[in-house]
Amino acid sequence: MTEPQSRWTAVQMIGKGVDAAPALRRGIGATFGLAMIGSGGRVVVPILVQQAIDRGLQKSKVNVGVVTVLGLIGLAVIIIATVAQRTAVARLGRRSEEALYTLRVRLFEHIHRLSLADHGEERKGALVARVTSDVETLSQFFSWGALAWLLDGTLMVMVAGVMLAYDWTLALVAFATAAPLAFVLRSVQRHLVAAYDTARSRNADVLTAVSEVVSGSETIQAYGAGAHYARLTKRSSHERSNAFIRANTIGAFLFPSGEVFSVLTVAAVVSVGVIRGPGTGLTSGALVGFIFLTYRFLEPIAEFTEVIDQTQTAVAGLRRVLGVLDNPIGPPEPAHPITLPQGMLGVSIENVTFGYRSRGDEDEATVLFDVNAQIPAGQQVAIVGETGSGKTTLGRLIARFADPIIGTVRLGGVPLTAVANDELRTRLVVVPQEPFLFDGTIAANLGFARPMLSIPNLEQAIVELDLSDWLETLPDGLFTQVGQRGDQLSAGERQLVALVRASLVDPDVLVLDEATSSVDALTEVRIGRALDKLAAGRTTIAIAHRLSTAARADRVMVLEHGRLVEDGPHAELVLAGGPYSKMFEAWIAATGSAQS
Amino acid sequence: MDGVNDDTNNGASFGAKKAPGKVPKRGEGTIVAPDASRLTQAFRLIRGLLRHHKRLFFTAVGCAAVYASCTVFSSVVVRLIIDKVIVPRFEDGHVAARRVVGILGLLVVVGVVRAVGVVGRRMWAGRTSWRVTESLTAEVIERVVAQPVPWHRQQRTGDIITRAGVDAEAATHILNPLPFASSVVLMLILSAVWLLITDIWLGLAAVAVFPLLIALNLTYQRRVDKFYDAAQEELGKLSAAVHESFDGVTVVKSFGAESRETERLSVIASRLRNARFGAISLRSTFEALLDGVPTIINIFLLVAGAYRVRSGAMTIGELTSFIYLFTLLVFPLRLIGFALSELPYSIAGWNRIRELLDQPLVSDPALTLRRHSGNGIDLQGVTYDHDGSREVLRGVDATIPGGRTVAVVGSTGSGKTTLLHLMAGLIAVDQGSITVPQEGCALVFQEPFLLAGSVRENVAMGREVSDDEIRTALVASEAGFVDGFADGLSTIVGERGVGLSGGQRQRIALARALVDRPVALLLDDTTSSLDPGTEARVLANLRDNLRNATVVAVASRPSTIALADDVLYLADGRVVAHGRHDDLLLSVPEYRHLMEAFEHERAEQTAEVLP
Repeated sequence: MTEPQSRWTAVQMIGKGVDAAPALRRGIGATFGLAMIGSGGRVVVPILVQQAIDRGLQKSKVNVGVVTVLGLIGLAVIIIATVAQRTAVARLGRRSEEALYTLRVRLFEHIHRLSLADHGEERKGALVARVTSDVETLSQFFSWGALAWLLDGTLMVMVAGVMLAYDWTLALVAFATAAPLAFVLRSVQRHLVAAYDTARSRNADVLTAVSEVVSGSETIQAYGAGAHYARLTKRSSHERSNAFIRANTIGAFLFPSGEVFSVLTVAAVVSVGVIRGPGTGLTSGALVGFIFLTYRFLEPIAEFTEVIDQTQTAVAGLRRVLGVLDNPIGPPEPAHPITLPQGMLGVSIENVTFGYRSRGDEDEATVLFDVNAQIPAGQQVAIVGETGSGKTTLGRLIARFADPIIGTVRLGGVPLTAVANDELRTRLVVVPQEPFLFDGTIAANLGFARPMLSIPNLEQAIVELDLSDWLETLPDGLFTQVGQRGDQLSAGERQLVALVRASLVDPDVLVLDEATSSVDALTEVRIGRALDKLAAGRTTIAIAHRLSTAARADRVMVLEHGRLVEDGPHAELVLAGGPYSKMFEAWIAATGSAQS
Repeated sequence: MDGVNDDTNNGASFGAKKAPGKVPKRGEGTIVAPDASRLTQAFRLIRGLLRHHKRLFFTAVGCAAVYASCTVFSSVVVRLIIDKVIVPRFEDGHVAARRVVGILGLLVVVGVVRAVGVVGRRMWAGRTSWRVTESLTAEVIERVVAQPVPWHRQQRTGDIITRAGVDAEAATHILNPLPFASSVVLMLILSAVWLLITDIWLGLAAVAVFPLLIALNLTYQRRVDKFYDAAQEELGKLSAAVHESFDGVTVVKSFGAESRETERLSVIASRLRNARFGAISLRSTFEALLDGVPTIINIFLLVAGAYRVRSGAMTIGELTSFIYLFTLLVFPLRLIGFALSELPYSIAGWNRIRELLDQPLVSDPALTLRRHSGNGIDLQGVTYDHDGSREVLRGVDATIPGGRTVAVVGSTGSGKTTLLHLMAGLIAVDQGSITVPQEGCALVFQEPFLLAGSVRENVAMGREVSDDEIRTALVASEAGFVDGFADGLSTIVGERGVGLSGGQRQRIALARALVDRPVALLLDDTTSSLDPGTEARVLANLRDNLRNATVVAVASRPSTIALADDVLYLADGRVVAHGRHDDLLLSVPEYRHLMEAFEHERAEQTAEVLP
């Protein structure tokens, strides 16, 4: 997976984000227009006060009629503005959630189609975070930051406009006095962010300490160390409090500095206004209006300093999300698929070389070197080799979870790159090493192979694999809940579900990644029985971890450091004196010692 | 939209604004109490929280009062500016410079004092809530370590971690906005008095509007919280589904189910989107109303005020400051809603903490052990059969003479681990008795647990031991690899520390038991994760170092078992045989079968690692 796309500028990235979720663009102009009208509502009171003072509220004579008319006009404006603001906020909210939904769905699809090489253990968490927390960051931005840009931005423009219209000199005085506030706030904000970073990591320390005292409770009790660890946790909690109090103290200055600048600005405006006096076209109403407008103008500034940070966070989230979408998907679908021949399929592996491109180290990267093998239809093959020999990778290439860098894998004579994914998945099935089950019933997990099957179909499949006796041991039969990742079942039972699930597809080729986990004797017997039934009449390629499996196969392929070093029937290889015979001798010696 | 959140936000979720992304972790136990008792609960919560750090809290309240008074007083200053400065200058043509300077000076002074009040309130409110969090966390953690193992086994680990780590913070959340909320109340009272003094009729009208605005805010808050909670729940479901789906990506690909999975997740994502739509629609309406309604009231005040000015009942300055004060109040009124919305979270957090603290202390199982001055261990009719316990023991009798090494052997579930935990005093027998040495027994667990911290801390576990003693213990447990670390004994291990293999962790855990030279050592399958050579050396070291110690070791390797003086063979919680390994092989067929099964299992496991 590529790292965040640092080559894109923030503007380019927002453009790409909008491309990925076009709902954002729809009607954005209208939303802005409505927001502008809505902000108009927030300057009604200052303008009304100015108008009333200048036209109807002279000390000498009070014209109630004029003020009433002004009031009615104001009322009409405010109703329109309220409706406009409501519409603008709702539009922005709905459009953004709509867009984020689209983005999420695109991410699901894209991530599921990424090559398995991009799904390593270490990346799983990152991929989940892209779809959940990163998109959530964007959602939070839209429900607060974007709204602030929209409403407060239009408000400041509006207020500044009114100020300039009243008296441009006074407006400039106000802007000049208030300007340093922006710098003060930015610098406070910077310290604040750093302080909260520290505080958050202190918070993580506390959670770690607490979780260790709880999960390690037996060890702690066994060594009578309770008081000691309670003391450590309390110290950690004290440090967290200190860190948060420090951050909080810095934060305490953020808003009040706006207050101070407000009174300074009002004092400056009033002083200049009073010095200039009535002769210059300035009215008392406008001067009073300025007092109100100043507060309105400075109100959003403190918020903006936070909005800028939130925007940066959101842009970073967007960068990561787009980085995933920029990653090419796994084996691509053929433009002109070739239909596989009917009947049993053989597998041919021709000059296959493969490496995981994302593993940095060049030497480590290549996993398979120039592997060649013809597997005729119906043959039972075992691939053996040490951990890291490339046997699992070879299985993955046969299943087209990735394409070889050099060479071709053919199924029934057709290159895998020319087979439509949907067809491939009905003709070849992989039973993974640690079968993954979804939280739900056994029936639901079996149905995952073919969603249209009925319960009797599923029961039939279980009978065919000779597993009826196992089904009877389950508390709710096919409707037994398997729990998260199938943890309510034993490892062996998960294998059984996976075997039945594979049989439902009725594939021509079976790739078995053999389990390493130990299984109780009875389940072992059941697995063996089911495997024999399942393998019968199919081309079977077993990634074997047990030599007993290899001994039963028609043919054994031995991999060593990514190269095919031996290939032949078990009986021949045992006598050949090569790596396989050494492996076998060691195994016999180890198992034999128990009998001695 | 305003910066208000910062006032109510504890800072823990700083940057993630509260209203939209309200994520205080709330357990399933959200308190949905009837309103009448909610007030009582709130009162109890605040009284409970303020058992600690009262002074900090009242300092914050004092500062909040300064802020409230200055806010109201600033409207008086605005009135002075208009009536005494602007109107004379513009209508009469002149105004004394000294008066201008004086009044504007007053404006600045009041503004600065008001700001100081805000700073003080926020500083001390934060101080209060974090110091109370600290005190609560301390109470919880002390309670947790005081409870013995049987209590811990009845709890869900995650649940206690949440209570100690998150709920303590949630409970004190309310302390942050509380001083501010109290200042809003004071501000409303002062304003009401001031408005009524200025003009009784207009004052009455304005004051009558306060409850309306508060009610609007509260209704909004209550209703919008429901939507946010619903959305939060949908988000949780989506995260879980995404996690599962990406975990099972191999299965998805194997069956070509990419589109089906996308479809399934899209449905869940659309539920989240729809929940958010509900919140957005409600929020946009209320946001607009909360902006619009006060403005409409202000227009009304202005028109009505014009009549009062005409009749000479008030001045232009009074009317304007009236409107100004009303504008100032709109903002704090909105915060009341925010502050009160914290309440249910804090009450829920507080109740969850109380639940934990109110549980009586379970008596320490170690007290049920009989002690004697020798170093042997004696088991008489030991029976243990607790609900939910997988391993039970039924009348186990055995005498383990001091200084002997005994291997406890049996298939999975035969009661070996339970037996060791009973001898260690972690759990108590239901019937029978166990006699152990005066100093007790040191237990090494089957699964080594290393705490976050250095190797030194993990071996010492709070005991007074020197580095030399620690090194000696590490040598005896064959954990010499620690010397190879750049930081030696100070190397950080545990969750966030250097990666150690299972065998390495186990050897550090063993050193932990050896460091204060126990007279009786209990090893729960401790050495099985070591390779046979290392295991043999460890066992030899034990004999050399702890010459007179009694060692009881659960073992599953025939080679290890053969090293023991005696074997205690358990099946189904009973002692089947107790004697020498060789004798048992000959005389007990089940024992021989078990040994063969152990060998076979090991051979299968090792086949793959052989060259």
